[in-house]
Amino acid sequence: MIELYAITDDPGPPLPDVAGLRLVPFDGLAAVCTPASEAEVSPETLWHHEEVVEALMADRDLLPVRYGTRLDDEAAVARAMEGRSGELAAALDRVRGAVELSVRVVAAGGTPSPPDPPETTSGAEYLRVRAQAEASHDDVARALHEPLAERARESTEGRPHPPELFRAAYLVERAAIDSFVAEVGRLQSVSAGLAILCTGPWPPYSFAER
Amino acid sequence: MRDKLLHAPLDLDPFARTVPRIDDALSRRVNADPESLERGLAQLVLTIVELLRQLMERQALRRIDAGSLTGEQEERLGRTFMELDQRMAELREEFGLTEEDLNLDLGPLGRLL
Repeated sequence: MIELYAITDDPGPPLPDVAGLRLVPFDGLAAVCTPASEAEVSPETLWHHEEVVEALMADRDLLPVRYGTRLDDEAAVARAMEGRSGELAAALDRVRGAVELSVRVVAAGGTPSPPDPPETTSGAEYLRVRAQAEASHDDVARALHEPLAERARESTEGRPHPPELFRAAYLVERAAIDSFVAEVGRLQSVSAGLAILCTGPWPPYSFAER
Repeated sequence: MRDKLLHAPLDLDPFARTVPRIDDALSRRVNADPESLERGLAQLVLTIVELLRQLMERQALRRIDAGSLTGEQEERLGRTFMELDQRMAELREEFGLTEEDLNLDLGPLGRLL
């Protein structure tokens, strides 16, 4: 069994010397893979996968492959890619030269998050709290998302996990990372009621498929 | 993972609370026993119910905004949604599902909920 890490250009820069990486070329692209590990699936194996993809990402553009994608052998990889090179090349062009940055927002300490609808209250009160929660999400989205999206090639909003008010992923040109992060800093400085977390650069997980 | 923080507030605890535990996610995905198949079906059904619940709730909020409901209608609607919400939470718990589990990735259309 072999395990897939990413789809990338072929030829590309030499592979980093980690995890016994190999290239399976097909139609001007290549799949990066290794012999599959026998180790039990665990958070550590997941992080290892992420580290390999990030090492690859350092000097090439790539489409990250979903963790745990395994095929029998290199011939099976070539078969799986057959006829998809056009689609994959277009997907690779979409993320070329860019990385994913993640932004998550919670209410800052001391500022109450919109409360969970209390259990014993009236129906009208429940709806009022709901409407308030929706409005505060919309306010945050308007205030933060628009200026950030302007600095990104693409963006996608995710469903916030409570107590988050907002979460989104941005596809940002490598050269624009600093100005994106500076904009996050500026938005934080004018948003006393919010705590903004920006992480990355990540492989373009949220922009690898249409 | 500190080197992944490009901009972070001093207090990261509120964010840590929102991270679903990776171990949970992994153990859910690799067990294909009959019990988890049943859960998969429950997940699908509850997802559809949750979608309808949210759509109706938003519609109700729009109608309240528009002022087309009487106070009594508002109260009755609100109570219905509140009870549906509680019931959904109970069902999710029964099947060991989180809110995020009820969200399908529809590819080009984005996330369902």
